[in-house]
Amino acid sequence: MNEIFDKLIIRILFTIFICIALVIYKYAHLIFYPSQKKQLLKKIYPSENYIDTLHIFSRLIGISLIFSTLEFNEYIGISISSFHFFIWSFIGLSFYLLSIWILESIVFYNFEYKDEVLKKRNPAYGLVSFANAICLALLIKTIFKESENSLVILLILWLFVLVLFGFGTKIFKYVSKLSFNSLMIQKNLGLGVAYSGFLFGNTIILMASFSHEHHDISSYMVQVILKVLLGVLVLPIFRYGITYIFQIQEEGISTTKDETLHLGHGIYFATTYITGALLSSIIIGQIHFGTIYPFF
Amino acid sequence: MNKIIVYCVLLLFYLGLSKSLSPSEYGINYINSNEALSRLVPGAPVSVILTDIHSTGFLIKTYYHKYKIVYGFQSFEELIVRTSRNYSINNQSHLGLSIFRRYREDELEDFTPLPPGSIFIGDRNFGNWVQDNSGDKIWKFFRVYRQIPMYLGWKDFIPTLRDYQKIQLHKDQQKAYFGPNDEFGLEGSITKEAFPNYYERQNQDKINFKAFLKRYLKENFIK
Repeated sequence: MNEIFDKLIIRILFTIFICIALVIYKYAHLIFYPSQKKQLLKKIYPSENYIDTLHIFSRLIGISLIFSTLEFNEYIGISISSFHFFIWSFIGLSFYLLSIWILESIVFYNFEYKDEVLKKRNPAYGLVSFANAICLALLIKTIFKESENSLVILLILWLFVLVLFGFGTKIFKYVSKLSFNSLMIQKNLGLGVAYSGFLFGNTIILMASFSHEHHDISSYMVQVILKVLLGVLVLPIFRYGITYIFQIQEEGISTTKDETLHLGHGIYFATTYITGALLSSIIIGQIHFGTIYPFF
Repeated sequence: MNKIIVYCVLLLFYLGLSKSLSPSEYGINYINSNEALSRLVPGAPVSVILTDIHSTGFLIKTYYHKYKIVYGFQSFEELIVRTSRNYSINNQSHLGLSIFRRYREDELEDFTPLPPGSIFIGDRNFGNWVQDNSGDKIWKFFRVYRQIPMYLGWKDFIPTLRDYQKIQLHKDQQKAYFGPNDEFGLEGSITKEAFPNYYERQNQDKINFKAFLKRYLKENFIK
């Protein structure tokens, strides 16, 4: 019984450690987003502005996603494992917040948080920001896993994944008929759904590309590039296949101003893009050819 | 139209990048002719025996050869190379034969498929002819080279003077020779015994779909 109580106390202690890490996150968040100082330091009323709630709490989900990769190894000592947890959680949240800052500068380069969220309460902005935060958390979680506690490899993979993801965000205009800037100004929910699906699809492809064995970093990165390229080649086949099989008609969407039509198209685009990305991830990550060299 | 062009460019880029960076392109040589094989084998005297033929791939096959390179004055080596389809098919019947030999450094090279170790038979540096009980002259390696027949996979093959003369005749005519009783080559009994890997793969049990389905259902859904 003593042992059971002891283990329970240790688990509660670790729970408190994670809560302390969330406090660190709260103040680290202010370093990167000084404009949100008022929102974070005063009491939050989630029902007042649901866009802001979505914006803030998506990051909380994101940071929890990153924390979920970390481990406590009690057998090496509580102090050492707590220290290890704090160090890596700090690295994780720094990379995460920096990633959000960089990516939002790329995606929302024409838009301001204060204007879109606090003044205009733009749902499209909120949705895209939510998707962006979750996608980046998933990607950082993947590279945390792949870096295997090596800070150098983590740094390289983080820069690498940011370049790939950032580059991916710029190809939206080539794959969708929806205009990002004009529809974002119009607070178009359809655009928000479509772009979120687009970000989630790209994340699925990247996660599948990064998830494979690695022995040396350069050949690993070459394999990642090849897999991303393969994803870029396979994804359109699935998307056109879905459009053809289900006889989907998408004429006139680029000229209409009807918001309901845009929402329908956004949902269609997001779902087919995510479906295509998930199916592509099978092709790029789950087909095993065995050994490369012939052992005969 | 523009999208198709971009897609084709991406496809070419992917293929080019895969070709130049793929690990399968490293460390394994490609040959499509005897001359290409000759460039991969240094030194002399040397005999190259084709010991295994293999192909991988579903629709577009990649062909591989495995060679045993037996040197006169050192131990043997094994070499795996990728080959062209034609080269592989042309040499299929020569499994277990010596398909290349070099007599002296930078000099005489020969590609006539002959029994393994033909280069050493009759060479006074490696052995001499002795008379057996039946009165036939047989080739015997000097004691220092007694490992060579094992490297060559001769098993119970003992070359006689008559065999040597036939080897020389086929070499001059550049015609493949499979041994006095066709012991070597794809259908040769000694080849089957000395280099069994190829035959083991060929004789793998064909899939009995009914038995496979029964076992699959039992293992996955009943147990």
